[in-house]
Amino acid sequence: MAQELRSINLVAPAFKGINTEDSPLAQDPSFAETADNAVIDKRGRIAARKGHEVTTTNKTALGTAALRAIKTFRDDAGNTKVFSAGNNKIFSGTTTLVDETPAGYTITTDNWKMVNFNDRIYMFQRGYEPLVYDNTSADVEAMSDHTHSTGVASTMYGNEVLAAYGRLWTADFTNNKSTIYWSDLLNGIHWSGGSSGSIDISKVWPNGYDEIVALSAHNNLLIIFGQHSIVVYEGATSPASMTLSDTVAGVGCVDRDTVQYTGTDVIFLSQTGLRSFGRTIQEKSMPISSLSKTITKDIISLLQNEVDFYRSVYSPEENFYLLSFVGQETTYCFDVRGTLEDGSYRVTRWPGSLFTAYETRRDGKLFIGTTDGISEYKGYSDNGVKYRFKYFSPSLTFGDPSRLKILKKIKPTLVGANSATVFMKFAYDFGTSFSTTEFTVGNQQPAFYNVNEFGANSVPLSEFTGGELTNQRSLNAVGNGTSVVVGLESDINGFALSLQEINLLALIGKTI
Amino acid sequence: MGWFEDLTGIPTGQAAGLGLGAAALYRAYEDLEGFGQRGLELGQDLAQTQMEQTAFRPYTVTTGTGGQFGITQDPTTGQFNYSMAMSPDEQAFQQGMFGGAGQFFQQAQMPTAEREAAVYDRMRAVMAPEERRQQLAMEERLASQGRLGLRTAQFGGAPEQFALAQAQEEARNRAMLGAMQQAQGEQMQQAQLGQQYLGASYIPQAQLIGALQPGMTSSGMQQQAQLTGAGLFGEATASGIEALLAGDLGRARLLQTAGAGLLSGAGAFGVNEDD
Repeated sequence: MAQELRSINLVAPAFKGINTEDSPLAQDPSFAETADNAVIDKRGRIAARKGHEVTTTNKTALGTAALRAIKTFRDDAGNTKVFSAGNNKIFSGTTTLVDETPAGYTITTDNWKMVNFNDRIYMFQRGYEPLVYDNTSADVEAMSDHTHSTGVASTMYGNEVLAAYGRLWTADFTNNKSTIYWSDLLNGIHWSGGSSGSIDISKVWPNGYDEIVALSAHNNLLIIFGQHSIVVYEGATSPASMTLSDTVAGVGCVDRDTVQYTGTDVIFLSQTGLRSFGRTIQEKSMPISSLSKTITKDIISLLQNEVDFYRSVYSPEENFYLLSFVGQETTYCFDVRGTLEDGSYRVTRWPGSLFTAYETRRDGKLFIGTTDGISEYKGYSDNGVKYRFKYFSPSLTFGDPSRLKILKKIKPTLVGANSATVFMKFAYDFGTSFSTTEFTVGNQQPAFYNVNEFGANSVPLSEFTGGELTNQRSLNAVGNGTSVVVGLESDINGFALSLQEINLLALIGKTI
Repeated sequence: MGWFEDLTGIPTGQAAGLGLGAAALYRAYEDLEGFGQRGLELGQDLAQTQMEQTAFRPYTVTTGTGGQFGITQDPTTGQFNYSMAMSPDEQAFQQGMFGGAGQFFQQAQMPTAEREAAVYDRMRAVMAPEERRQQLAMEERLASQGRLGLRTAQFGGAPEQFALAQAQEEARNRAMLGAMQQAQGEQMQQAQLGQQYLGASYIPQAQLIGALQPGMTSSGMQQQAQLTGAGLFGEATASGIEALLAGDLGRARLLQTAGAGLLSGAGAFGVNEDD
């Protein structure tokens, strides 16, 4: 007797992002086993990320190196200047990278951190005399060369710098991992006299010993991230009288460049994953506070294998926090619009991304540093090079893991993906050999104002559309198994792609 | 005619009457001369006797504690010699007081710096434990606040550390000033004690001198009695002399009268012859 086809509808598949922590069989179909080069789009669907368009046209000074820092100088008068660092140089400009390295100033590493503070931009890197630029001098100069600088000494050549509470704060020195120096009030070049000072927190670490990695300011708190602990001071507006507010043991920060402000919280990468400072303080390092709980093992693996450096950025416009493991060319994209039931962010992965620096601009643009110079996060190709969007579902049992499933139809609904070739894949019983069927999405040229609908020989140039191309296909499937994994791959080369839903039609067979 | 007549022109017969008269006058004249001499001699004897009666008589006053005060007169020069002698106990007391006064004055003359340092050290020894407690409390408080490693350009360390250090430093300054005042006060006290000791060392002498007053009074009274007796003696003796001389004077006047009578008789005869 013929059985009825059972329809399994995966609506907005993977809109919960990747989950590699839970058992595939027990997983919610809303998770994804793989979501590469993807983001969660504005409608909560998994979609291809944007690419980057290179702005730089002359990167002679950069050579073949990659930019490792980008920062836009801005002062009260409205002057702006984009600075970047790479190839052991300091650059300015976006189209042409102009070498701004001070004469006689030798650089052998590009791990700079740049901050704006009171009409100047400051650049700090461990073991290097800080650099400073303002519109008056119009030159990047070593801090001690600045006319009014005081107290500039090798003891304060920190790796971390923070502009907060009316002063500059620096920490993580070559031979001192527990002291924080702060500048005079409103003057980042005065490191002696006035209300400048320092604090040695070597006796404060909750675990007896730690090393300062990063500094952050939030809610009138000075947050000091150690490698394995966090120390929080309150009243940092008056550092001489600030007092210890809280300590958290067992949770620290991996790298200063993973700390980002989201406006209401501070996000940082700990040894066990991405964490929220607010929740970490509330929950006192409880594991539940992890924002990357769905990919904990993956993060730990990347951390253990990272030999280069980390970069991160928070983009309120894109609603994501990007975390790049530069040495492994992997970036995780955390969607910060909301959290899952377990408190973690929805996360997707951008493998093969060669992003080495980020800068969120005030106009909402996201600058990306690469070996090509400065790029902008836009478009749907990596500077003309396609990248592959991948989605793979967890193992689906359709609610009955003991019975055989015989896939008959796979019906994906895609949005966008003009002219793209899409590969639908499926495999049974955790197999790694996927059956693949492909199709090409039709081309749609939306008609806009003042664009002819018809071209020569009545070849349409554009057509009236709703603005988004929606494509539904019905693909035949073969084989059977107790669990099924469905995947979709497509090269992104100029057009967006969103996966609206996947409808599976299957026969439920006998119990095995 | 005899020498008398030759000499006087008076016949010898008449001359006998004249001679008796003259002799009586002469005798009266000589007696008067002897009366003056005798009066002088008697007066000198009286003066000598009274000088001996009123002459200073050495005396000695002995106090109840054994001190002695004596006055003697050099028989040769007539100078008075005073002598005071304290008893051995008083001398010992005086020497002790003198010695003490000397020591106090010597100490008062010493520079105060060493004493200031000593007083300051003792004050610091008293203050130090509390300061250590305050310091420890401060360190514990700062440690609990995670501010033990604070270093500021404004305060050196934490503001509280600065305030505590300032307070302790002020306390040290006050202690130092107090030590200086104490040393100076002690110096003044030493001087005062020296003065008191010095004054006390003269007490036996002063008491000895004080004890002289009654002795001198009694001596004075004795001298007054001596002088009074001498005066009475002189007056009585002078009255006797005066009476003696009056008797002699009367006798002399008797002779004078007799001699004058004789001469008058003799003279009247002679005048008649001349007439």
